[in-house]
Amino acid sequence: MSFIRESFSEFWASNISKIGILFLTVLVIVSIYTVVTLPLDFGVRYWYNPLYWVDYPKTAQPEWINIFLSEKLMSHAELSVSKASGIKTYNNRFIKYYNVSYNHEYNQFPKFITLRISNLLFHNRDSPPIVRFYVTRPDGKTVELYTLAIETPSNNVIPPFKYFSIEPKRILLSGDMYLARSLIGFLYREFNISLGISSILEIGNERIIFGYISGKNTFTPLTGRYVFSTVLVCSDVNDNIGMVNVVLGGYVYGLMGTDVLGRDLSQGLLFGFPVALIIGIGTSLLTTVIGAGLGIISGYIGGRIDDFIQRFADTINNIPLLPLLILLSFIFGGKLWLIILVLVFFNWPSLTIIVRSMVLSAKTSQFIEAAVAIGASRLRVMVKHIFPQVAPFVFAQMIFFTPYAILAEAALSFLGLGDVTMPTWGQILEYGFKNGAVFLGYWWWILPPGLFIVYSAITFVFIALGMEPVVNPRLRRWK
Amino acid sequence: MGLGKALALKGLTLIIVLISVLLFTVLIIGASGLSDRILNSIMNEELRGIRQKLTTQIRDPEELNKAIERIRQDLVKAYGLDKPWYARIPNMILRIVTLDLGSAREVQTFTGSNKISDIIIERIPNTILLMTSALIINFILGLLIGPRVALKHGTRIDRATSLYSAISYALPTWWLGMLMILFFSFQLRIFPFGGMYSAPPHEDPFMRFLDLLWHVMLPLITLVLALSGSWIYITRSIVLSVAQEDFVNVARVKGIPEDLVRRRYIVRVAAPPILTNIVLGLAGSIAGAILTEIVFDWPGMGTLYYKAVMSVDESLILALTYIFTLIYVLARFILEILYVVLDPRVRL
Repeated sequence: MSFIRESFSEFWASNISKIGILFLTVLVIVSIYTVVTLPLDFGVRYWYNPLYWVDYPKTAQPEWINIFLSEKLMSHAELSVSKASGIKTYNNRFIKYYNVSYNHEYNQFPKFITLRISNLLFHNRDSPPIVRFYVTRPDGKTVELYTLAIETPSNNVIPPFKYFSIEPKRILLSGDMYLARSLIGFLYREFNISLGISSILEIGNERIIFGYISGKNTFTPLTGRYVFSTVLVCSDVNDNIGMVNVVLGGYVYGLMGTDVLGRDLSQGLLFGFPVALIIGIGTSLLTTVIGAGLGIISGYIGGRIDDFIQRFADTINNIPLLPLLILLSFIFGGKLWLIILVLVFFNWPSLTIIVRSMVLSAKTSQFIEAAVAIGASRLRVMVKHIFPQVAPFVFAQMIFFTPYAILAEAALSFLGLGDVTMPTWGQILEYGFKNGAVFLGYWWWILPPGLFIVYSAITFVFIALGMEPVVNPRLRRWK
Repeated sequence: MGLGKALALKGLTLIIVLISVLLFTVLIIGASGLSDRILNSIMNEELRGIRQKLTTQIRDPEELNKAIERIRQDLVKAYGLDKPWYARIPNMILRIVTLDLGSAREVQTFTGSNKISDIIIERIPNTILLMTSALIINFILGLLIGPRVALKHGTRIDRATSLYSAISYALPTWWLGMLMILFFSFQLRIFPFGGMYSAPPHEDPFMRFLDLLWHVMLPLITLVLALSGSWIYITRSIVLSVAQEDFVNVARVKGIPEDLVRRRYIVRVAAPPILTNIVLGLAGSIAGAILTEIVFDWPGMGTLYYKAVMSVDESLILALTYIFTLIYVLARFILEILYVVLDPRVRL
């Protein structure tokens, strides 16, 4: 055991190993955090489901970019209200108010405005409620946004009636014709301007709601407090709305920004951590076990088995991997386990060839002869006496091979042949490249995934470098 | 005699490699039903040509259909589509080797042909231009810097080189390429976004050459930055292990000038293993070249690969897999010759 302790202290002596171990710890912690917080079917359920991301801003920069900008970019805002702030009665009807306020302090208009209403509950079949949406602007003027008439439920449904419980009702106000018509009246009434519906749609509903007129057909953002109120007109006092959301599309979002579908990049990037670890460690572990095992057998047993293994290894070792990897993933579809198996299949031979030559020289040493002489079986000699001789080298090779597997999977994903049931860094880069992120300057979409690939790969390179003096004792003299 | 025999042996191994790759590929595309699809599309293409010719001769549509059905059955037999896939293996191998795989689905040559063999022959020089220039630069850098750093083992320069190699090993070439475009083309606007020539290309050959240089710069720098690190590191490690051998110490003790010790006793001995490692690194640079071409829209075979995958073009992918293996095997053979020339022990 002192051998292991000695090797470890030799390994730990260099700074590069310490950095490597530190990086690895972070990698493992982040992976565990991801597996615990995100569902395992995150890829299928959320990442590759565009509907889930529909209310997110498209290609928004990360929020922290505002620190470096003199003119702040509007943050994405999702306001929500679930409790009525007031109730009135009028003509045997109840009127409930759901108010939520928003302080606009940016010199931009929202990219889009969406209203979302979920869990509408009512009890009277004959008079379903009506929902009206208004906004009161900082200058005191009120705009009517939308009126939602609830259809009468069919006779076979028993009250209470619950609407929009599975799928919330989504109203996209930008480009909405009804709102554009209401804005004609608003502009005429409040500013004495008459605009046609086509020019209003051209300017954009959100610009008129969030702006004041500053020239011919030009609007300037109006900063201050906006109050969005949802008014429920109902016939039963127990009727209510579960939740109202007002989404104001921004220019910056979250820690990592979003992609062209509005997907929150930080979540996809986070999911890449465990996937990269599985690919890296899984592939290198399998490759090393097969490569070293066959190398020991080939070297120790010799004869025909040796010949066969060596010819086979030589042939595979001469095949360029990537073209075949592309062909195989293309034919069988990019599945993670398949990618791992192919990487293993094409990479064990180089280790086998080296381990064999090491075993050949170890075989002649006297303690092996002694072990054989006292009747140790072949298996015992290989496991107990030969393997420890090559173990440090094999272990170092395993670590050195890990980044290779991570990089190979990323390259395959970049070619569009990755496993489409889970997001990986390579796939995020591929999607960004395909959508012209490089040519449009969407740096937040290109930089982080690549940096994470480099980070996870270099972690293992550092550890392997730190192990060099352990494996190759001649280097120790120089220290 | 010794030299010839050694080379013949190497050549034989590589031919076996090529044949086994071909066999492996054909087995896979046969068993997965891909070869049926490829042959069917080749046959349908031929049939379409025949139909066009026949419409001018046979007016009656019913008779025309009958005639075409007859021809179709003949063709099915001729292509062996009536037999199971494993009966067609030799034929399929022959098709791949001669690149007789029909036409590409979406890609065309600049002259408008969409025959796969035409497309590939047009693209090969572009790939070789980019790859060999990168290879040569990396090779020179490795040989210039590696031994120098090795002889200063443990100093700050040595550690900096090791760090650079580690980073360059962990750096995906294609991502580095994207960063280069983002920085030099998008931000600074001093290099083109991609391609090989400006559109429309210059008339004057000298201007055309300058234009080519301007376009090749960014992909070339990317390939050198991303791959030189491991080359330098390999030469460094090998020279380092030779430099610690006893005969080097003996030479120094004998009073042979340091310069001569380095040249004759260290670098000369280290050269063959360095070459072996370069041969092994060749596969890596082929992969790097495929992806770098895609990023820079370099009209070579890597970009072709990407387009083939995007347009789900089975025949083209098959042809490219074969060609890449062939290039790899040929390049290895050239390096093997160099190896035999450098290392007299092989000839014994």
